[in-house]
Amino acid sequence: MTVLGIVVAAVCALVALLGLYYTVRDLSADLVLLGATALLALVWLVLGIALGLRDLGGGHPAPERVTLYGYLLTALLMAVGGGWVGIFERSRWGSLVITVCAVVSAVLLMRTHQIWPGGFA
Amino acid sequence: MSAPAPTTDAGRRTGRGFETVLIAVYGIFALSATARSLVQVMRDFDFAPVAYSLSLLAAATYIAVTISLVGRGRRASLTRLLCLLELAGVVIVGTLSLVRPELFPDGTVWGAYGLDYGLVPLLLPLIALLYLSRTTSKGPQD
Repeated sequence: MTVLGIVVAAVCALVALLGLYYTVRDLSADLVLLGATALLALVWLVLGIALGLRDLGGGHPAPERVTLYGYLLTALLMAVGGGWVGIFERSRWGSLVITVCAVVSAVLLMRTHQIWPGGFA
Repeated sequence: MSAPAPTTDAGRRTGRGFETVLIAVYGIFALSATARSLVQVMRDFDFAPVAYSLSLLAAATYIAVTISLVGRGRRASLTRLLCLLELAGVVIVGTLSLVRPELFPDGTVWGAYGLDYGLVPLLLPLIALLYLSRTTSKGPQD
């Protein structure tokens, strides 16, 4: 699970920096940035499924189950929503929205680690 | 898959420019503040009634600003009013949380000027008000 968490963090950073680069260069989101955003949604989905399966298996009952799934769902929605905005807002600001979503999802990832320090290790 | 958007004279079809970023950030705050306050209120409201009520108030404000921003320019004055209320809320609640910490045994969205959220709650209304004043005085900017 730690590896998966690191992968999600790395993809968050990648998307955030890529989106920032597009914003600074005044570029709208292209298939590279949108692809990276889709990857972000995918890794969050994988992390969510992995945590959900472990929760179902009774390995580590999450102490704050509602919050955990709330965070997972929010992160997934933001990756999808950020990409959606990137498709329809054809300016640098669409790219900035993707950056914002990636940064917020990185914060969510950190919060999940704070709430479940043992559950993630 | 998706056909390229037909470019108009302005070159951009549906672009709202910077407003899109504001809507996105307000939308995220509306969602997270609502979720946080509902979880707090439903779990144990009596533990920190003031803090949880203020979380609900913050959530309602973010939802109102988001909706107002989405309803383009026509309601710029309403948006400005809501942003001023939001700013007042952050400042009052932030100050109250520092002066009367006993009222806040648990955190609230606007506590300590939104420190839980990287002080973004304090900066957000300022940026929104600045954006609104620029667009209304000079016409839509890009």
